[in-house]
Amino acid sequence: MQTAKKKKSKTRKQFLFLIAITAVPLVQFAIFYVGVNLNSILLAFRYYSFDTGYSFAGFGNFERVFYEIANNALYKTMLVNSLITYVVYVGVGITLALLFSYFIYKKMPLAGVFRIVLFLPSIISSVIMVLLFKYFTESAIPTLLNNLFDIEMSGFLSTTKTAQPVLLFYMVWAGFGPQILMFTGAMNNISDAVVESAQMDGITPVKEFVFITVPLIWPTFVTFMVVSVAGIFTNQLNLYSFFGTGATTSLWTFGYYLYHQASMSNLPEYPFLAAVGILFTLIAVPLTFLVRWLLEKFGPSAD
Amino acid sequence: MQVKKKSSVSPFKIVMCALLIAYAVTLFLPMLWGLMTTFKAQAEFRKNVLGLPQDWTIENYTTALTHLYLDVRRGVSLVRVPFTRMFLYSVLYAGGCALATTVTTCVMSYASARFPQYKLSKVIYYIVVVCMILPVVGSLPSEINMSQMFGLYNKIWGLWIMKISFLGMYFLVFYATFRSLPDDYAEAARIDGAGELRIMVQIFFPLARYTFMTILLLYFIQYWNDYQVPLIYLPAYPTVAYGVFSFGNSGDAALANVPVKITACIITIIPILILFLIFHKRLIGNVSMGGLKE
Repeated sequence: MQTAKKKKSKTRKQFLFLIAITAVPLVQFAIFYVGVNLNSILLAFRYYSFDTGYSFAGFGNFERVFYEIANNALYKTMLVNSLITYVVYVGVGITLALLFSYFIYKKMPLAGVFRIVLFLPSIISSVIMVLLFKYFTESAIPTLLNNLFDIEMSGFLSTTKTAQPVLLFYMVWAGFGPQILMFTGAMNNISDAVVESAQMDGITPVKEFVFITVPLIWPTFVTFMVVSVAGIFTNQLNLYSFFGTGATTSLWTFGYYLYHQASMSNLPEYPFLAAVGILFTLIAVPLTFLVRWLLEKFGPSAD
Repeated sequence: MQVKKKSSVSPFKIVMCALLIAYAVTLFLPMLWGLMTTFKAQAEFRKNVLGLPQDWTIENYTTALTHLYLDVRRGVSLVRVPFTRMFLYSVLYAGGCALATTVTTCVMSYASARFPQYKLSKVIYYIVVVCMILPVVGSLPSEINMSQMFGLYNKIWGLWIMKISFLGMYFLVFYATFRSLPDDYAEAARIDGAGELRIMVQIFFPLARYTFMTILLLYFIQYWNDYQVPLIYLPAYPTVAYGVFSFGNSGDAALANVPVKITACIITIIPILILFLIFHKRLIGNVSMGGLKE
């Protein structure tokens, strides 16, 4: 009887403790996640005027969004650029990060040095990396090409034809850090017994990577892939760091557009941007679930 | 059974090694070129873009340091913010936000991982997973709107409050850490009369201290390097990254040359490089997370 009473008191104390430590973050979450998104929905159904303040807009902002999508060529450009960015990020960036992580995990030659080298761009501010990279590609490389091959050319970022590949290269080149950190962390948790047993059977490094390493870190890989779907609508391709608000529209992605407009606009433009955001979210949510479902259904099994 | 011996040099290793060496070269070449450029005067840079400086000068450093300031509007007055002040704002912004986010994430993942018998713990876990899966796009105007409404806009402490968040991948890292720790420690402490707060602070947090330090440093670097959030939420309190972004687009005649702009970059890299050299083992240590399923 007394033990049951003690147990009940312990449970009550634990629950009160749980509430005490989680209350502030949950309130913050309620305001700055739930509240912000509810406000975003409300904002999307309003107009703002400096004279009269907010007024109900019905579906006015959404009608404008659909009108812009149908008639403004910029949206088509942004869709193409955002999809190219996503495909390169996943196809090249994540694939190379996986291979580099495997190289480090297997402690191949100079693995420790490469681990630091690959992480280095992540600790330097993107704006600094971008400035160094920008002046190098705009000044040093054209001069080098001119000296070596007598080729006269302006900077790589000056023309749209070369700017996009350079920006995509930069995104992959400077973005390995967090992926390497997480992938090597997951690989280090693979049981030595599994690897040793496969090595006894004479498995090659490539087969070990494909048939053992990747299936065993699949949950971490899926997490990265699922989170990266939102990147279609949020990845700025570092355009703001390279060009500020002055990037040529042929390079714009959805992520750049949203940040650019929010940083440039004043209050009357916010409701329209909120409507754009809601529409993008409505597209991104099912897409994310689809990617997750596909990866879980057709992905390798740890068994 | 005998392990079959394989050649230590495989084509896979060679290709990977070559790729990584090429990567390292492309990474260090612009940095070395940048460092070399900082010792050239603008006149020399125009004629000699690639070579070593013929007349070594530190003038770019003095010019950058004297012109590294921003004029910002606070209320009705225009305030000049020197580089040293930007440095202070960076420390306050990055340090405060990193601490707020890391402590919150650590506490919430502890609550979720160590008390699975309560529904609240499960709710916290599902909030994180759902928010990771559900991509909310374009909430920036609404967030600006809310921060202005709550009086947090253009205040460093306002951003600290906005960063008391437990969402994101690092929750899963802490969660995996706390779930892996045995319950015996807690039970022993409870028998000795320790309360839940003491068990959390004196037993479990020290066991997760390496994960905590790694994530704290990662957040610190992330916030230190971030210029877009201060640009929007702290227009009157420019941080170093915000300052460098502004110098990059500056119309100031003294800053309108490549060597001075690169010098400004090199100066601002130094503190974070020192931090990296001291803590690189901790920063790129073993951090792992699980998937999105419990």
